[in-house]
Amino acid sequence: MIYFRGCVAREKLKRISRDTGEILKLAGIEYTILENEECCGSFLLRTGFREDAEKVMDKTLKDLEGEKILTSCAGCYKTFSKDYKEILEVELDVIHSSQLFKELIEKGHLEVESIDRKVTYHDPCHLGRHMEEYDTPREILDKITELVEMERNRENSRCCGAGAGVRSAFPEITSKIAEMRLKDADDAGVNTIITSCPFCILNLESACNDDYKILDLSEILFKRLKRT
Amino acid sequence: MEESRLNAMKRSFSILEDRKKRLFRDDYECINELSDRVKSIRKYSISNLEELIKKAEKRFTENDIEVIFAESADKALDEIYKIVKDEPIIGKSKSNTVNEIGLSTFLMNKGIELVETDLGDRIIQLDEETKGPSHPIGPAAHLNIKEIARIASQKFGEFIAPEARAILDALKNDVTKRLSKCNVGITGANSIAAEDGSLIMVHNEGNINIVSMKEIHIVVAGIDKLVRSVEDAISVVKLETIFATGKKVPAYMNVISSPSKTADIEQILLKGMYGPKRVILILLDNGRREALKEYDECLLCIGCGSCIVSCPVYNVTGYEFGYRGYLGGRGITFSRFITDNQTCFDSGLFQCTECGLCTLECPVNIKTNEIIERLRRESVEKGKYPKKHLETAERIKEKGSPFED
Ligand code: SF4
Ligand code: SF4
Repeated sequence: MIYFRGCVAREKLKRISRDTGEILKLAGIEYTILENEECCGSFLLRTGFREDAEKVMDKTLKDLEGEKILTSCAGCYKTFSKDYKEILEVELDVIHSSQLFKELIEKGHLEVESIDRKVTYHDPCHLGRHMEEYDTPREILDKITELVEMERNRENSRCCGAGAGVRSAFPEITSKIAEMRLKDADDAGVNTIITSCPFCILNLESACNDDYKILDLSEILFKRLKRT
Repeated sequence: MEESRLNAMKRSFSILEDRKKRLFRDDYECINELSDRVKSIRKYSISNLEELIKKAEKRFTENDIEVIFAESADKALDEIYKIVKDEPIIGKSKSNTVNEIGLSTFLMNKGIELVETDLGDRIIQLDEETKGPSHPIGPAAHLNIKEIARIASQKFGEFIAPEARAILDALKNDVTKRLSKCNVGITGANSIAAEDGSLIMVHNEGNINIVSMKEIHIVVAGIDKLVRSVEDAISVVKLETIFATGKKVPAYMNVISSPSKTADIEQILLKGMYGPKRVILILLDNGRREALKEYDECLLCIGCGSCIVSCPVYNVTGYEFGYRGYLGGRGITFSRFITDNQTCFDSGLFQCTECGLCTLECPVNIKTNEIIERLRRESVEKGKYPKKHLETAERIKEKGSPFED
């Protein structure tokens, strides 16, 4: 299995790729990471740079074709699952980290313990509405935390504001949207937000102060693993 | 849009959302069934548009409604001007299509006054700072009562209390006085029944009842408003009402299929009894046929505005994310066809996060995020994109990473 970390977990929020790697090790999963891992192509596709996207995707595909692929990023996951199929006509064997974690827990490869810490879950657009994966992260969180839902959740989840190039070109729009999402958590009476997309985390973190904790599912799971 | 106005808008949106939620809870099956019906009505329409246009021309003419086909906004303006050039003042009800062709400014430059009759539209017409409606059915959603009172006070040169009834009375009296001088009324149409030759308009204030009873009634509507029958049209406007207002039916649904007429004296046909002598339908293309070629999904829209209420970007920018009353992502995609790529770019083509919320909220489930992505591709090919995106794209190509360091 290749663990495709994606640009944010690889370069900006390395704690996510580190904790994910640790979890895999504890579960006894063998995996490799690409020394020269590049880009899934998502940014280029969403912003209209189609020709460039196809070149980047062709290149990345060479490393991934025929392998089982694990992603941390909801955006990579959607791109590998949908766009590679639609544009390059390849069906990649890709799994999102939340899905693998659930499998490992169910098979008994990971043992978890629950702590009654209140958290809420933010559905990343690319994992939720675009890939319709709502339950898996929640099933894990139910086992290890006290999950409190925000009013806008699942398919109605509010976007964090970062996607499709808006964060890079219109940061003021992005940060205002992120503030609304943080307020959704406030309204639910929770200040720990768990999500399954490093890009959402990067974005929400840059819009909040230390009163909030924004964590990837892998980070909180790693803390709740029973070590033998 | 200013922070305080955005907050007022968000407040009215949340009242609207609550009302919708209640209605959907109580009438879920009914609404679902209606949505399915309207989806197939609208799909039929856009797949058979040319045929419907032909049928409409024939049937409306038989019904004594004059049909003028306008391929562009300029043509529509010319045709309207021919009819109204001697009028000092004209009454109007809410219509995105009329805004689309820029009629208000056009007539103002010709010295003809256009009076908005919807309360919300009239308020934003009087406010110089407002650059457009903030919701298709609640155009003044971004203004709180104090601001509205200030705007009205300024307009009338006297103090009007920040009290809803007082504001309504002041505006109503003024509009009624002006309307009494009008011989021509201009409206849009929410849906058009091609095979019956009927125009369907919905409203709550009763203003269309007055505007459409003037001597001449001009209706401006896009060819995308065509459906087959009156029954189909009623389904469309009912669903539009549900998604726009959270109410099942509007106060009024007008079905107009002819000028006002009587034959009570020896079967002699006389037109203009209590209502208009002439009803003129201006059917507007203005880029819609171009949209039909590769982006026909864009024309499924029934104009309810449901998509903007939940749109994250719209909630923090307001009507600046859109084009002339065509608001939010779908409005931006539409602007590409009724204007050009530059306007579409300026309206916010690259501001959408492609989150997909609008599709979920849309009664006909238009996949706006996918259309946006395709239009961005076209725009990039034409060399129009945010500079930051090019920089990021270059980094990705060079070193496989979007980040600077
Ligand atoms: S996809 Fe774009 S237009 Fe639609 S809700 Fe999201 S940000 Fe708004
Ligand atoms: S795109 Fe859909 S939700 Fe938006 S105005 Fe049109 S029909 Fe309504």
